[in-house]
Formats: sequence, structure tokens, C-alpha cells
Amino acid sequence: MPPLELPADVVDVLRRTFTAEITTVNRAGQPMTWPSVTYFDEAEGRIICAVSIAYPVKAYNARRHPQVSLLYSDPTGSGLDRPRTVLVQGTAEVAEVLDYPPDIIGLFATVADRQPDSSRFTGNRVVRRLFNWYLFQRIALRITPDRVLAWPGDDDGAMPVEVLRRG
Amino acid sequence: MADLRLLDRIGDYRSGVLSWVQPDGYPASRRCTVEVVADPGGAPRLALAGTDLSVEPGGRACVLFHRHDERLEGLHQMVVKGTLADDGPGGVALIVEGIVTANGRGDTDAMPHASAPLHMLAFYRAGRSAARAYLTKRGSPWPPIPFDEIGRRVAEHNARRG
Repeated sequence: MPPLELPADVVDVLRRTFTAEITTVNRAGQPMTWPSVTYFDEAEGRIICAVSIAYPVKAYNARRHPQVSLLYSDPTGSGLDRPRTVLVQGTAEVAEVLDYPPDIIGLFATVADRQPDSSRFTGNRVVRRLFNWYLFQRIALRITPDRVLAWPGDDDGAMPVEVLRRG
Repeated sequence: MADLRLLDRIGDYRSGVLSWVQPDGYPASRRCTVEVVADPGGAPRLALAGTDLSVEPGGRACVLFHRHDERLEGLHQMVVKGTLADDGPGGVALIVEGIVTANGRGDTDAMPHASAPLHMLAFYRAGRSAARAYLTKRGSPWPPIPFDEIGRRVAEHNARRG
């Protein structure tokens, strides 16, 4: 997959926002939105997140209904000053994380960077085995953006601009 | 499903994220301000205000509330599920049908943390049990996890990124 052609300030948002609000749709047509750390795999033009096998509902939803969305609307911790709000609508591929490819390593590194206190867990041999099911036994959602909308940084009521459409 | 009294916590959040499903099947989301409106004769509703909330009444939707600090700690989250409805001229509301917390408890929107050991223990027990159910359904065991190799590669990744 080629890299995405996106404005630099939108790329900044995808790189640096701590959590995106990811929405999947369940069998009943109910959208469910949860915050999730994401990793922007710029070389592959995809966005990666992962769920624990103990809480696989997002993954099950995305297998059944691969159209998902990611809203980047909370800049807390990002260091960005009045960033644009960005909505990514895309198609998800779902797979268990069994061999830790570079994009999953990128996601783990992103979590460690944004949540530095988590290293007390992941670095402790006892804790990481107790919480294996939460920290390492995970299911990945690899999201290929089909459409990206962006609002102005001050989001003062302006309409969004479509900055990417594929397909 | 969590206790509807958690609606009282909505005032702790500056805004929520409304999500709905577009006719083309893609979900969409928009941050909006939220006011809880009690209805003694029926379900409570969330009055939603924001720009371009071009949503159709009658559709299923949810509002996520979440927050964290600058070190991605102090996590709080909950999702209010329901149906969209007209709410006066130009207004939109979510008729509340339930709340989900995903933290192992129905009485708080706080995520488990080492500083709250009883909550962490409840989260651990529920999560381990759910993970075992997943693995049983999966059939074959999960492959061994190369913790040290993962740690080394994460460090290399961070070194490359500076």
C-alpha cells in the first residue's frame, strides 16, 4: 500500500494524538466508540490499533463490518497547539498478533512512549506474565483510510474539508 | 450494562464524541457538548450541540466520554448507547438505552489502575477469565511470546525515531 498524500498538519495529528476515538459497528447496527492508542504506519499508509483477546468485541465487529472510523479530537499530551480535528473512515483488516511485525512493534513503542508508567508493567517479568492476556495477546486492526476529513484547528463551526478519498 | 446513575458523571467531561452510521455503511463521529435531560416519565436523553451534526433521527448512535492526562494516566471512559431523535428546532438528542464502561465494573467510569488494587484485582480476574474463554474457543494454544525480543525491537524502533 503506498503512503497517503495528506497535508502536513493532518499527518502531525495522526502521528501525535495520544488516543483516537475508534468506532466499529456491531451486528445490530449499533456503533460503539472507544478510545485507543493508534500507530500511523506511514510507509504502508495504514493506521494500526490492537485489542486484548479478553475484550475482542471491536475485532469481531470489524471482521463482520470492516468499515470503521477514527476521530482524532483530543490533543491532550500531544504537544500540538490547536490541532485540526481529523476523521478517518476506512476499511479494517483483522488478525491475531502472533509474530510481532514492524507495525505492531511500532504500536508497542508508541504506547510505551505515550504512557511511560506502563513500562513498570511490561518490564516486570511477573506482572507481564500475569497480564499476558492484556499486554501481549492481542488482535490487530489494520485500517486503510478510504476518506479523511479535517476541520480547522479552532473548529469554530466551519465545515470539514475532505483531504483524502480513495476508491 | 452499567448503572444509569453514571449519567451524573457526564458533567466531569468537557464534551463527548457522538458516533453514528452513515447510509454508505461507514461510521462517523463528531465531538459535541452534551446536556443530560431527565424525563420522569421515560428514558433520559442527552441533548447534543455541535457543528454540522447532520444526523438522521431514528438511527442508532452512541456518545463516548473519555479523558486522560499528559502521561496517558487517570483514564476515565464510558459509552452511552441509544437512538437519535429530534430535539426541538435544529436540535438532536440521544435517547439513552444503556451505558457501557469496559472496566469490569458498572458503578464507575474510572479505568483500573495500580493505585486502586481492588479494582485492579476485579479487572484482572474478569479479564483473565474472558481471555481463557477466547483461547478455549480458539482451540490451539497461543504461541510463546518473545518478551525480550519485543523489548529489544521496541528500543530499536524508538532509537531510530530519535
